[in-house]
Amino acid sequence: MVESATPTVRIPTAPGYFTSALRVFDLSIGEMLWSRRTIFMGLVVGAPVVISLIVRAVDALGATIQTNGVRVAGPTIFGILIWVLYLRIIVPVLGVFYGTSLIADEVEDKTITYLFTRPIPRGAVLVGKYIAYLACTIFVVLPSVMIVYLAIVPMRGSLGASFIDLVKDLILLAIGLAVYGALFAFVGARFKRPLLAGLIFIFGWEQAALAFPGYLKKFTVAYYLQALVPHAMPSDGVMSLMQGFFRETPSLAASLAWLLGILLAFLWAAAVTVERKEYVLEQ
Amino acid sequence: MSKKTRYFLAGSAAVLAVGLCTGLFAYYGGGFPSLSASRSGPPELSYVPADASIVAYANVGEIMASELRQRLKQAMPDEKGQREFQEATGIDIERDIQYVVAAVTSAAPSNANGLVVARGNFNPTQLETLAREHGGVVEEYKGKRLVKVSDVRVETPPGGEEVHRVGHQMALAFLEPGLVAIGGEQAIKSSIDAQLTAQSITSNEDMMELVADIDRGNNAWAVGRFDAIANQANLPDQIRRQIPAVKTFAVMSHIDGGVSGTLRAEARDDQSAENLRQVVQGFIALGRMQAGSDPRIAAMVQSLQLSGSGRTVSLSFTVPAEIFDMIPKVRGGGGAGAAVAPAAPRPPQPPSPPQAEK
Repeated sequence: MVESATPTVRIPTAPGYFTSALRVFDLSIGEMLWSRRTIFMGLVVGAPVVISLIVRAVDALGATIQTNGVRVAGPTIFGILIWVLYLRIIVPVLGVFYGTSLIADEVEDKTITYLFTRPIPRGAVLVGKYIAYLACTIFVVLPSVMIVYLAIVPMRGSLGASFIDLVKDLILLAIGLAVYGALFAFVGARFKRPLLAGLIFIFGWEQAALAFPGYLKKFTVAYYLQALVPHAMPSDGVMSLMQGFFRETPSLAASLAWLLGILLAFLWAAAVTVERKEYVLEQ
Repeated sequence: MSKKTRYFLAGSAAVLAVGLCTGLFAYYGGGFPSLSASRSGPPELSYVPADASIVAYANVGEIMASELRQRLKQAMPDEKGQREFQEATGIDIERDIQYVVAAVTSAAPSNANGLVVARGNFNPTQLETLAREHGGVVEEYKGKRLVKVSDVRVETPPGGEEVHRVGHQMALAFLEPGLVAIGGEQAIKSSIDAQLTAQSITSNEDMMELVADIDRGNNAWAVGRFDAIANQANLPDQIRRQIPAVKTFAVMSHIDGGVSGTLRAEARDDQSAENLRQVVQGFIALGRMQAGSDPRIAAMVQSLQLSGSGRTVSLSFTVPAEIFDMIPKVRGGGGAGAAVAPAAPRPPQPPSPPQAEK
């Protein structure tokens, strides 16, 4: 008796949550890095590098850099650049532009269907894209900080003496990118016109809340992030003067705990939103 | 991930790694110091004992020739004290002193030990004669000529006889040609010992680091260990608790037309520095709000610039020359602008009566 052998085709099991996220990361990082948005990021991150090289050139020519008639040393200029450009502008702006676009771009390009029809959890799509955002921004922002440090700090300053501050700066900028990215990933996944909402949050709400006394500043990311900055806060305008006047600094542990909490809460909320929300593609 | 992406990430990582390694090397090796900082300070630091809690320097020649000094001279032209000093010692402060290095080896009120080492053109014979005239005693100490003058106080207890008490002993030492030291006897002897045994402040790394950070452009500066001063000064506990946790401080200034400078303090830890920065920031903000309508005051307050990172708190300032115009002139007695009021115009001469023709 001959038994007929029927070939059994095993359906491959779907990858797990984190494997899926890593696959989405692998797919997204190239797209993210070589998109038009990167030109914008290059301009934003290139500005402090160009400024520092100009300052260095001016110093090498024998001119002195002064603020309000006072000669300024390299570490002070570095601290001002970290505060004014990186912390107040670059990190939140990159968080808004990239974070809000993680899902919104796919919806706008009507390509989200291709991702959602894959046998992977929907939330993993967002997490994978978030990791890609993090890698993309960190690998662009931090090298620029490094170039600024090497160019500026040796002017009447010491690289060795400022090294610990540099490490703190790099860590806090990475934390800032992670937290703002998670927050705006949620905003992008949940709301329509997320970019506008994001810009209002960073340039409206955060700035105003920090400039007044009271508990409102606790509902900003900047409040916890600014507590980690090792440099003195510059008073370069009325707003920063008021922020300096009413400034409160939470402890290091409290700041880190709150930032971690905000990151995890918003990343989880964003992933859950993507899992549950029905995205209607406009025809 | 495409090859292009991989190359980009590798390049970024390489920039990060190179920067971090450079910083780390500089941090552990103490290398790549300030490009323009003075590493050693004036050579007279070798006469400052290693345990000095405050060291200060002033380029007297430069300060005396400054525009600011000329303005002050105009405001206070009567320099009787300076003239008397010159007559007695033969030293013209305006021209004869190049620079001075001062130090405090003990801030305790009971045992205050100040030391001033001055470089310039001095007449040792005249100085020694002056000291002798005031009861000074000349002695040799390790090859250096020392003139000691005692502060004798006459006390008369009620119903008793006069008691002569010998107070603090001051001394003048001729350390080298053109270099004299003035101060407490103990401080002068410690100074000579410090130079001979090479146990001077130049061997105190903490203090020399502070001195090395002083920019060469400054013509007056002071550095010190705040903790040592607070400990020696026997401050009451209530006051000691209020003093911020400042470890060291440095004040550096450039005096010319006005005064520009930096006040730098190093706190015990990052938290103390942050607290101090916030306090100073608050005062600056308050000052700017209160600056008022006087543009000179506003310019001065605007120049206050707080900076610093980690444990360092730095406050830069500029006092414009115009501020010194506000000092009332001694003879005029009024304020700056109105210090010397212009003379009232003479009334016109009355018309002379027509002379009668002879």
